[in-house]
Amino acid sequence: MDRVYHALTDPEVLCKCIPGCEKLVSTGDNTFEAVLAVGVGPVKGKFTGHVRLEDTAPPSHYKLVFEGKGGPGFAKGNAEFNLTGADAQTSLHYIAQVNVGGPLAGVAQRMIHATAQMLAGRFFAALEKNGLGVGG
Amino acid sequence: MIPAQFDYLAPTSLKEAVAMLAQHGDRAKLLAGGHSLIPAMKLRLSQPELLVDLGRVKDLSFTNEKDGQVRIGAMTTHYQIESSARLRSICPLLPETASHIGDVQVRNKGTIGGSLAHADPAADWPAAMLALGAELVATSTKGERVINADSFFVDVMTTALAPNEILSEIRVPVAPARSGYAYVKMAQPASGFAVVGIAVALTRDGAGKCSNVGIGVTGIAPRAYRATAVENALKGTTLDDATIARAAGHVADGIEPNADLYASAEYRAHLGEVYAKRAIKRAVEAIRS
Repeated sequence: MDRVYHALTDPEVLCKCIPGCEKLVSTGDNTFEAVLAVGVGPVKGKFTGHVRLEDTAPPSHYKLVFEGKGGPGFAKGNAEFNLTGADAQTSLHYIAQVNVGGPLAGVAQRMIHATAQMLAGRFFAALEKNGLGVGG
Repeated sequence: MIPAQFDYLAPTSLKEAVAMLAQHGDRAKLLAGGHSLIPAMKLRLSQPELLVDLGRVKDLSFTNEKDGQVRIGAMTTHYQIESSARLRSICPLLPETASHIGDVQVRNKGTIGGSLAHADPAADWPAAMLALGAELVATSTKGERVINADSFFVDVMTTALAPNEILSEIRVPVAPARSGYAYVKMAQPASGFAVVGIAVALTRDGAGKCSNVGIGVTGIAPRAYRATAVENALKGTTLDDATIARAAGHVADGIEPNADLYASAEYRAHLGEVYAKRAIKRAVEAIRS
């Protein structure tokens, strides 16, 4: 569980796993600057923004607060992660809230939720590929 | 807004087009009918560096029959399919589905290949392809491969096509004896996209029992899917009203329905059941001997 928590809060691991992450660097205490080039279908955009870790309670809980802006629009929200488990098995439970605005939201509102879920799925698949079998 | 600057190439053959994709890699974006891509480009949601326009590739625009299959070139327009008396006779689900797409202007320019490759979760063609068990031919510089519809729609606007492949041909079975088809859709009043869209293809055997059935669902999930639970509840039955009603209840089994400002997940699931029932009944009524 410690290993998973550490990986989930390590900018190097996060940058490898977050879809389209080009840059994720620490800018201070639990804050990061991020650049994401991400797309679904023909819609691709570069988003720059900030990520902040809050309510950190290693190794079981933290909250990630993010906001980003790009050509297609802006997104801000947060995700709460809870880790439970014993021995070699860790379960991860997350709840995320996202607000999206700009042309992307105006035109593609009906697809935002499905797209966010797809990107989250890619994130967790990448976590697994990078050596962390995260179940749940 | 106007699109961001882009380069433009207009190949005149499929061979030329796949060579261009291979050469330019992810700089390139294919342009078919343009009625999904160009609006996105005008809003600058999409900013491809290079457009490869398939509009002059004549060998992608055809309809013919071979080995019990109808074969349609990817650049065939929705209107060409909708207005084909031949298709109405040998594969009626195709013209029926085409008639529900967008509006007249979209149908005049939009293409079946472009629509399928774009894989909008609320597009109409994917439902018909799944119901018919279509084969989709992908061409690249390495040759051709055939992808079954069941494996084609992977996720939101994501298909099984590789970045260097062009969807070149769609193959569907010629309607067998005692088969019936229907496409029923609840269109979002502003956009015309399917809030739910159900395509049904079914066949009855000599004893009146359902021998084969395919049901494609669009609008409900992040990608179009086959309602196998509904299909299994219909196979082997006499397709009576009570059975149809019971089967339709399974249309969203295992699916987390989309939710948006227009329709909640619960509403979509409910609509799915109502429209599945309607589509199955219409297909049964349409069975020709």
